Amino acid sequence: MDNQGKIKIQCGHLHKTFHAKNRKQDEVNEVIRDFNLQVRENEFVVLFGPGQCGKTTILNILAGLEEKNSGTVVVNDIEVTGPRQDRGMVYQTTALFPWLKVIDNVAFGPKMQGMKHSDWKKKAQYYIDLVGLTGFEKTYPVKLSGGMQQRVGIARAYCNDPEVIFMDEPFGHLDAQTRYLMEEEIEKICNGEKRTVVFVTNNIEEAIYLADRIVLLTNTPTHVDKEYVVDIPRPRDYTSPGFLALREEITARIDTTNL
Amino acid sequence: MFFPNPIEVLTYFVHTLTHKIGKYNLTMHTLFSLKRVAVGFGLSSLSGIILGVAMGYSKTINAIVRPLFNIIRPIPGLAWIPLAILWFGIGETTKYFIIFMGGFANIVLNSYDGTVKVNPVLEGAARLLGANDVQVFFHVILPSATTYIFAGLQVSLSTSWMAVLAAEMISSYEGAGWIINMGMQTGDTTLILVGMVAIAIVGFLLANIMRILERGLCSWTIRGR
Repeated sequence: MDNQGKIKIQCGHLHKTFHAKNRKQDEVNEVIRDFNLQVRENEFVVLFGPGQCGKTTILNILAGLEEKNSGTVVVNDIEVTGPRQDRGMVYQTTALFPWLKVIDNVAFGPKMQGMKHSDWKKKAQYYIDLVGLTGFEKTYPVKLSGGMQQRVGIARAYCNDPEVIFMDEPFGHLDAQTRYLMEEEIEKICNGEKRTVVFVTNNIEEAIYLADRIVLLTNTPTHVDKEYVVDIPRPRDYTSPGFLALREEITARIDTTNL
Repeated sequence: MFFPNPIEVLTYFVHTLTHKIGKYNLTMHTLFSLKRVAVGFGLSSLSGIILGVAMGYSKTINAIVRPLFNIIRPIPGLAWIPLAILWFGIGETTKYFIIFMGGFANIVLNSYDGTVKVNPVLEGAARLLGANDVQVFFHVILPSATTYIFAGLQVSLSTSWMAVLAAEMISSYEGAGWIINMGMQTGDTTLILVGMVAIAIVGFLLANIMRILERGLCSWTIRGR
């Protein structure tokens, strides 16, 4: 996996510091220190790290939603300076447009780019079917369960045909049962529609289940601790020896480095 | 009579629906008041929403308008009556102006709030999906401000209805406010109550029309569901 395919994301020496204006003094919070990442086409990379370690900030910078202090970020051969439609995002808390029905949420991107009514309708329907929401096209997000809302979010990101999709702990707020289901679902979708995916999580099982490669992050200021290539054949079994061994290895690493 | 019995009021109410009090019958008087509200409230809604949204969208506009607005805001619409009469005389303009001032501040503030409180995550999501500035404004900022704007419109419509009555009681030859004022001047308590009943019915209808409109426009919120 390491040496094949075009490089889609090239991120070097990324630094990010937040300045919080306090009443008495300026609070400086260094979140990211010298973060490096390279992602190849159609690779599924999981950024795995403890909570509050700046994973979301990294994704936001890669997506162009937040500004970096220094370093280079090149996605799809273009230097990242702001949000662009060649990058998609699936959010932690579903960032659906509550005033739009499911189909209009999914078709938002194509519509903004002026696609013809019949075309976006067909396209949106395809992705709605793909995530298993057939029959809910005319429903408002507020009436859907958390898992279903996340499916809409995934369909919306895919429907815009991005080169790279960022997923920011998309299943973090779901119950354990739904979470397993969604992990299987996302794997199926990713196998059907090959895309470059950067997936953020703090759940080790989720990471091993989904990833081609796991990038282990440190606590803040965040940088890469170690990388693991996951070559367990898919679909993976949470209880297979290979799975458990890798889980053991990563957990041990976290314990020794005291993340 | 100090307090007429309800049947008397109702009979008189039905009678005056088609028979003249002063220049017009009760229906026409009520329509006169409604027309004034329609003009005054229409103007205050339109300009209030535009100004409020503009203030929320642009910090520069907010910085320019806000100080002026903060001075005018606490003055109730009715306090403008004397000035309005001196400025515009006792014609229709005065009434429109009073109604306008009664509802304006509320609409501006609510529109401003709605525009400012747009979830930045949604804005970012829209941009990642390829929306430009104009599209973000019309497809994210405006729709997410609708509920706030509507709350402002609802309150303002009822204050507009109050303002028109006050304006008519002070200087007018027609309207629901004129009727109750006429009743007072002629010592006719039945006439006063007939006017009050008409005012109540219209107020009730206006509030319900707004509620139905809201249900249509904001059907995506839990409240409007």
